[in-house]
Amino acid sequence: MLRIDQLKADVENKQILKGLSLEVKPGEVHAIMGPNGSGKSTLASILAGRDAYEITGGSVDFDGQDLLEMAPDERAHAGLFLAFQYPVEIPGVSNAYFLRQALNSVRKARGEAELDSLQFMNFIKEKIKMLELDQTMLQRSVNEGFSGGEKKRNEIFQMAVLEPKLCILDETDSGLDIDALKTVADGVNALRSPERSFVVITHYQRLLNYIVPDFVHILMEGRIVRSGGRELALELEEKGYGWIEEELATGGRA
Amino acid sequence: MATSLKSNSAPLAGLEFDPSACGVLTAVRAEAYQAFLDRGVPTTKDEEYKYTPVTDLADRYFVQGGPVPVPESAITEWIYGDLDQIRIVFVNGHFSEELTTSLRGVEGLEIRTLSCALGGRQEIIEDLFGKLVKPQQFPFAGLNTGTFKEGTYIRISANTKIEKPIHILNIATADANGATQYVAPRTLVVVEGGADATLIETFATYGDGPSFTNAVTEIHIEPNGHLQLVKVQQEGLKSHHIANTEVHQAPDSAFNHYSVTFGGKLTRNDLNVFLDGQNIHTRMDGIVVIDGEQLADNHTRLDHAYANCNSFEVYKHVLGGESTGVFNGKIFVHQDAQKTDAKQTNNTILLSGKATMNSKPQLEIFADDVKCTHGATVGYLDRDPVFYMQARGIPKAQAEALMVYAFAAEVLEKITVPGLVESLEAMLFAKLNVQ
Ligand SMILES: Nc1ncnc2c1ncn2[C@@H]1O[C@H](COP(=O)(O)OP(=O)(O)OP(=O)(O)O)[C@@H](O)[C@H]1O
Ligand SMILES: [Mg+2]
Repeated sequence: MLRIDQLKADVENKQILKGLSLEVKPGEVHAIMGPNGSGKSTLASILAGRDAYEITGGSVDFDGQDLLEMAPDERAHAGLFLAFQYPVEIPGVSNAYFLRQALNSVRKARGEAELDSLQFMNFIKEKIKMLELDQTMLQRSVNEGFSGGEKKRNEIFQMAVLEPKLCILDETDSGLDIDALKTVADGVNALRSPERSFVVITHYQRLLNYIVPDFVHILMEGRIVRSGGRELALELEEKGYGWIEEELATGGRA
Repeated sequence: MATSLKSNSAPLAGLEFDPSACGVLTAVRAEAYQAFLDRGVPTTKDEEYKYTPVTDLADRYFVQGGPVPVPESAITEWIYGDLDQIRIVFVNGHFSEELTTSLRGVEGLEIRTLSCALGGRQEIIEDLFGKLVKPQQFPFAGLNTGTFKEGTYIRISANTKIEKPIHILNIATADANGATQYVAPRTLVVVEGGADATLIETFATYGDGPSFTNAVTEIHIEPNGHLQLVKVQQEGLKSHHIANTEVHQAPDSAFNHYSVTFGGKLTRNDLNVFLDGQNIHTRMDGIVVIDGEQLADNHTRLDHAYANCNSFEVYKHVLGGESTGVFNGKIFVHQDAQKTDAKQTNNTILLSGKATMNSKPQLEIFADDVKCTHGATVGYLDRDPVFYMQARGIPKAQAEALMVYAFAAEVLEKITVPGLVESLEAMLFAKLNVQ
């Protein structure tokens, strides 16, 4: 589904991604962990199509298409979804209006009929409940005045509505209380299917108790430096990143 | 009577003052027209026209065409679909009976053409007509006074609320020979004590020819009267539009004005409101969405003459292409106007690096116990929300339009005519090339 090959990217002439490779197959859940500033959000943003980065090498293939050539909205139409680490506020645009526009754009691209407001409300009813969101948030401006946790739940709600193929979650667990974490994880798990893949960026192994990954990768200094199964996350939780840095420095196993 | 004019060489070719058609108004019309002749067409050396070049009007040839037929199907957009309204329509300055709705039978509302009113209510017209215009200061108002062919007289009786909006639609058509179509809409409104109404003024063009609309609207709001005025400038891109709206507010009255400018090659609005008493509320808001080589200039003036009044003013501009926005907001707080609360805001979004905004607040305060604030911002569209919307599948142009819509909505959503707001929003999206 997604194949990232030796991706290199700069921000303001500073290299952030230094040859990153990752392959995600349909139905798989990949977790990416790594220290602050290692490039996790940069990777997510580049995949979603933010234009603040200069790609200096490598390629990204998404379902046979050159992802880097596509506009952000085309990527969304093709089934890519990024749950933002910092969801953006849009004063003056209601959630309901925004999300219906988004859904109809995606449906149009998929060759499906657009939904009028009534059909839309029916379509989202269950999903709002699932994420335990308050109905009134639909009339409020997108993310404006939302608490940190509400913003994160809203991201997963949008994901549930847009039904993407590849979901990238950038620290969706940060700032969530324990109950909200469970709600969000349930929301994600409800979407798991043999065709749908997830890339979950997190600092905490705890999330991975709820969203059980098939693979865990460690991103450091712009590269995936280690990949493994669930146990890698547990090892990190116990030992931190220092041991990997040491191993890398001494040329140990990479 | 000063019916003979000092100068006969009209500065605008094709436009002349015809005293024989003016009846009882001959003197006042002649005087105003003379003021225009004395002053001539302003140049950009004139501080009030610094960013708004109108001198090319002097090189045109003008015609005041007849009431050519405009099909009903053409006006759907300008009458806001099926918005329930009391509508009076003028084509090239002539009353159009076909496009006008019934003007009779609404309790408390008198609405007639000026010429008709002059027949029956001569003294009243004579008393009020031209009393608010200042042709020495606003030369085009002098030109209008000398050259208008027809107009509208509206009176709302004391303590009556007119539920349906009253709509004056002015259409200029393209001249067959390519001359500039000149129309001089003239409106006189009296809102009697305790009355309440909404007036919509729409300006539009039919056909693709140059035109020059030179409008004057005089409004008297008597004690405790309420008027909402929505002005919509939807003329074509070959149109010059110069308008002077003069409002006199008596104590305890309320005036809410919303100016919407999408059309026109050059639009210049002079809106002057005199708060002549205590406990007056005034709102004057504007939204300008233009692109290409369009220019829109809003000059406003508020005179707080007495204590305990408040005024709010929000003008918003969205400027694309190489367009130019001009805003000049004068607020005079006179010596006796203690406890005045006046707030002026001017916000601009530039959609292109080649668009320019010239904004000048001008507060002159002669009272000491007042609250007066003003603020102006100019900036580009915020990128983060646009990217966020794109990441959810909304195409870029549509995302930008949504941002502009949200920006404009602050003004549009204050209009209390529901169907009208939706129509204006649809026009806005059309202007931004998205549905
Ligand atoms: N627009 C930008 N301008 C300058 N530097 C940037 C920009 N975006 C990212 N960076 C830098 O790139 C590096 C990687 O940032 P990124 O946000 O990808 O880290 P991260 O792994 O997501 O960190 P965290 O765990 O704290 O979220 C950081 O050093 C950051 O300062
Ligand atoms: Mg990050």
